[in-house]
Amino acid sequence: MLRLAGVSYRYPGASRDALSAVSLSVGPREFHAVLGPNGSGKTTLVRIALGALQPLVGRADVDGRSASSWPRHDLARLVGVVPQREDNLFPQRVRETVLLGRYPHLTLWGRERAEDHAAVDRALASCDAQHLADRWLWTLSGGEYQRVRVARALAQEPKLLVLDEPGMSLDLRHEMGLFELVRGLVEMNGLGVLMITHDLNLAARFADSLLLLEGGRPVAAGAPAEVLTQATVETVFSWPVAMQTVDGLPQMIPLRQPKESHP
Amino acid sequence: MRWTLLVVVAVLALVASVVLGPAAVPLPELLHSDIVWDLRAPRALLAFLVGGSLGVAGAGLQALVRNPLADPFLLGLSGGAGLGAVLAIALHLSGPWALPIAAFVGALAALGLVYRLGLIGGTGRGGALDPRILLLGGVAIGAFAAAITTAIVALADAAELRNAFLWLWGGLSGASWDSVLLVVLYVPIPLAVLLAASRPLDLLALGEESAGYLGADVEAVKRRVYLAASLLTAVAVAVSGVIGFVGLVVPHLVRITWGHRHRALLPAAFLGGGALLAFADTLARTVVAPRELPVGVVTALIGVPVFALLLRRWTIA
Amino acid sequence: MLRRLLFVVLVLASCRPSGRPAVGPPRRIVSLLPSFTEILFAIGAGDRVVGRTKWCDYPPAALAVPSVGEGLPPNVEAVAARHPDLVVLYNAGPNVTAAEQLERIGIRTVLIDLNRLEDLGPATRTLGRLTGFAARAESLAAFLDSLSHQPPPSSTTSTTLAFVVWDNPPIIIGHGSYLDELATAAGARNVFRDITAPSAQVSLETIAARNPQWIAVLSDSGMPSLPGFAKRREWRAVRAVRDGHFLMVPGSLFGRPGPRSGEAIRQLRALLAR
Repeated sequence: MLRLAGVSYRYPGASRDALSAVSLSVGPREFHAVLGPNGSGKTTLVRIALGALQPLVGRADVDGRSASSWPRHDLARLVGVVPQREDNLFPQRVRETVLLGRYPHLTLWGRERAEDHAAVDRALASCDAQHLADRWLWTLSGGEYQRVRVARALAQEPKLLVLDEPGMSLDLRHEMGLFELVRGLVEMNGLGVLMITHDLNLAARFADSLLLLEGGRPVAAGAPAEVLTQATVETVFSWPVAMQTVDGLPQMIPLRQPKESHP
Repeated sequence: MRWTLLVVVAVLALVASVVLGPAAVPLPELLHSDIVWDLRAPRALLAFLVGGSLGVAGAGLQALVRNPLADPFLLGLSGGAGLGAVLAIALHLSGPWALPIAAFVGALAALGLVYRLGLIGGTGRGGALDPRILLLGGVAIGAFAAAITTAIVALADAAELRNAFLWLWGGLSGASWDSVLLVVLYVPIPLAVLLAASRPLDLLALGEESAGYLGADVEAVKRRVYLAASLLTAVAVAVSGVIGFVGLVVPHLVRITWGHRHRALLPAAFLGGGALLAFADTLARTVVAPRELPVGVVTALIGVPVFALLLRRWTIA
Repeated sequence: MLRRLLFVVLVLASCRPSGRPAVGPPRRIVSLLPSFTEILFAIGAGDRVVGRTKWCDYPPAALAVPSVGEGLPPNVEAVAARHPDLVVLYNAGPNVTAAEQLERIGIRTVLIDLNRLEDLGPATRTLGRLTGFAARAESLAAFLDSLSHQPPPSSTTSTTLAFVVWDNPPIIIGHGSYLDELATAAGARNVFRDITAPSAQVSLETIAARNPQWIAVLSDSGMPSLPGFAKRREWRAVRAVRDGHFLMVPGSLFGRPGPRSGEAIRQLRALLAR
């Protein structure tokens, strides 16, 4: 569904590539996570994958067509995105904001139909957020708001879900809940998922495939056990770690730096 | 229910505009009176059309620049229009339509300049429109044009140039069936463009990136909304000078009842703006009769307290 | 030693020559209002006038006097450059400041009111007294006084008019203006006499309802015979506009009270009689 092949990109005026020779492929029922330190090109990758930026080298295709050639309206019926930042200007209720996700399915002058409202209900149900439907957005907690945003993306009835650091600023319970939710969508609804995240451990536990970037370059790609090795993690993140295994999957424990000894 | 109420209010405002006025026209003679047919009726309609256009332009602009303080006259158009008008007088351009046409041309010139400023990354389809620069550019170009205008008025000999500032303060005195016809033919297209952009404008409230991911062609929408709102404002300035606060306050008032969905907000803003301006014009004509207040003064006097109330409401909510 | 010398030089430099003449009436007068210029020439003090505003165009002899630019407010340096011993100014806000500035550099100034017909007599007498031509000033003043003592126009028989100064928004002349007095003196009634201000913005429908027989418009000599707004559709609701009953009165003669006010009244009367 989503395919990046040998993509390179440099922002105008930048001294080095933001992305260099990156390849990625996401199909249905697949959960892909993209990891890497700050500035490794993760958000750039999402923008290129969605056609917001055009690669200088290589191709970015959605369903066989170049991502940037897709009309926005049609692409939104295929791909639901939960971006990192959202700045909602006007006060809204949950149901209204999730309804915005139906816009790609509405004609220019047509009204919302019963099926649109049904899709909203289904989306809210998938995210376990029906009880929030009539709440004002500003009254929600961070975790609840994040679920609502995922619900909105689901209301688009996409085949592919893209999330950019969705777990940031969520507490443990809500972050775990979010990953469980996404995993459930992959397994029950058959979605393809591309997620950018900082959380290596959760990515390892929930994703089918990881892509580790450093300075825009792919360092390792594949199953979590292959990608998250002690040597790789220590090199990319410049920090000593110890590796453990939980549920057969690698988990990394960052170690404390030994203090400088003063004579 | 609320739509019925709004329509009733609008009709009442129009009727009041026609029935009330400094010239005493007794009710029985209303339908036969020249004053009513030749002066009050076109003036009431023009007030309604201009007020409605400003209300819609204001709502669209507030969504475009994502700033609830946006007013159509922040775009620099009023400065350009004033400069055009003053130049027309200073150059002794003759003809009954010289002033409105010059004002319109001046407004368009300012529009072009601000648009060019607002385009980052070059002209043509490659350029993205930055709404913050539109606002800042509008203020800058407007101030620049106003400064040149003031300089011309200060340096020129004709005392009549000073009267040009009275025109700029807003007035529907120039209303006639001719100007009503002109506006009726002109406004449907920009209004339709704005109405068609209702859904993308809803999405734009989430931010440009999110709006794009939800299917809006963000650059095209920004361009269209900016141009449509500017064209509406330009014709408003050309026929009736600068009438402030309508474009700023009416969208906020209407949002209280109709919320933020532009499909409902825009038509409601049209009716609300029209009713407000018709009502303000009636006040302008009757409150200090036989004298008349500039309409821009009345809308400011009404608009500022209303705005203050709205601000209080926000901070409490 | 050097310091003391410097001190003496500074003290001497700070002494300014007094502009006040030791004896006799002023011989170098700068007039900062066209009407004052006209009056000065009319009472025989014309050859004493060494400076005028650029608007002072009557009598023709005044044009030979060097112009100092604007009169309201005046360019203080240009006025001072004429080395006057008297400057006459129109009494208004900006001129008060200018007068203070001139006084500070030792030039004698006089602020005179001249807004309405009844101010003409006193202004003429003041100028006569200042210049030493009191006798000639008195006879002119007496004539000018007589102009302002006219009976109020009859509301049933007088011709009615309205002075339209601007069309969009409509600005008319009210009772407080000199033009209203001219109309009265010419035997006409300003339909907006009830407005006490010199000028005011009114609704077009008010003009239409009050239905003046004539619309008077101040024009310059090069202007066409009809004002621009005559062709506008909304103005045609006023009968006088529809019928083309315009009085185009020359701005230079009608715009300000002066010695030729009598002439203005005569002209207006003749126009009304048409």
